[in-house]
Amino acid sequence: MKVSSVEKVLERGVQLVSEFFPLKTYLYFPVLYSTCLWAIRRREEWKGEIFSWQVWLNPDAVEVKPDEFVLNFFESHPGLQKAYKEEIKAKDFKTLRATSRALYPVIGLEDPFLEALFKPELDSQDYRKIASEFEARVSRTKNDIEAVEEKSRFREALKSFGQEILALSLYLLSDAQIQKLIIKEIKKLKGKR
Amino acid sequence: MNSRARLSISKRIFLVVFGLSLLAACISHLRDAKFYYSQGQALSRQYQTEKAIAFYKRALEEAKEEAKKHPSAQAYLLKGMAELNLELWKDAEASFLEAFSSGFEEGEEWASEVSLLGLASSLHELGLKDLALKSYSYLLDKSKLKPVSLYAAQKYTDLALAQSLLKEEKEKQKILNELLKTMENLSEKDFGCGFYHYLQSQILSHLADYRKSFEEAVMARELGLPSEKIFRDNDLQIVFCYDKLKSLLPPEEWRGFESHYQAWIKKWGWKDSQTPGWKKETNNAADN
Repeated sequence: MKVSSVEKVLERGVQLVSEFFPLKTYLYFPVLYSTCLWAIRRREEWKGEIFSWQVWLNPDAVEVKPDEFVLNFFESHPGLQKAYKEEIKAKDFKTLRATSRALYPVIGLEDPFLEALFKPELDSQDYRKIASEFEARVSRTKNDIEAVEEKSRFREALKSFGQEILALSLYLLSDAQIQKLIIKEIKKLKGKR
Repeated sequence: MNSRARLSISKRIFLVVFGLSLLAACISHLRDAKFYYSQGQALSRQYQTEKAIAFYKRALEEAKEEAKKHPSAQAYLLKGMAELNLELWKDAEASFLEAFSSGFEEGEEWASEVSLLGLASSLHELGLKDLALKSYSYLLDKSKLKPVSLYAAQKYTDLALAQSLLKEEKEKQKILNELLKTMENLSEKDFGCGFYHYLQSQILSHLADYRKSFEEAVMARELGLPSEKIFRDNDLQIVFCYDKLKSLLPPEEWRGFESHYQAWIKKWGWKDSQTPGWKKETNNAADN
């Protein structure tokens, strides 16, 4: 481990604390020193904790329905009954089943996301348009949704600093060496002011 | 209190707050990925699809970072799980394979089983259905982890039902009866699990046994279901059974069933016989 890389990270740490608490220089040393010690002691503990945190896959609703269910879905909704009159009469299960993949979540299950997406078609009872555009429009909309953003700049800054500290093999340095490095960086900052 | 003592207290408070912030802040991308993924799942269960997708995307970003900086089986597992929920099947398949080649450590059996589930699910979506069916069947047989069994049971049921639809009547009945038996066995081991009753209700409906299907769906509703979507699907199954029984049962038997049915829907606060509480009212075409 290069001392210069530790110095660089600590320099950023000093800048970070000074940015958020500019007039409280007396806090710089205890905060940074305790953070370094915390990082050294907690690294393995955290790793264990994170690795033991279990996550699972959610089961979904059963998609494959019997023909009778599909038929009942179309027959029991006045708008669908009208729009798919011919297919219902002919018991064209191939078409009805394929169409129900799009219409059942929207009209049957009333999925709020899909209802909002197809609101104009639902209002005008254009069910065939929902069925024909379903996959492409859902997929496009899902692509357009952006990842959730973290609002707090302070949290992000702290997180970044903490990760840099964790990534460094600080345990190879003695406590005295770490103290020395922190003091050096604080003095450097004070000198600039 | 003098100014020095006040300073000392405020200093201590600050250090505690700062220390706690750091505790939350000094976390790996893996922890963030797990956090965002769990948020996505919670929102997905409540039918808040848009927000759920935003969280899954964030989970994916964090998992990608973790896999880049500290590659591990769990980093790839999280990446695959987020991709699966974002329907990026090919990417998910590659991530789960990467998770296996990274190797799971002792105590990570849950992660290994979830990876196998995820891999089977990606293969299923990519059209390799027989391979997926075997994986689900293996996990249903071997896994002692309930979340793994629940997911495998649903996927296995869906695949087996799809296969049964392609068969002649005799072969179809055989597949459905075997499937029902498998779900009954799961239910016997964990009778209080509403989801297994929901699955049985769905299978019984394919077997045209609407009375039993209704009973299992009622049991599922009473015991609880894992998500709003499944809950609503189960309600619509109850309505479907009601409609079918109305046309199939002899008048006397129907009257007995009808009074039994009305008692249930009153308890559940339904708007009428065919409109669960969550559903918008439409004039029922079948009644018109």
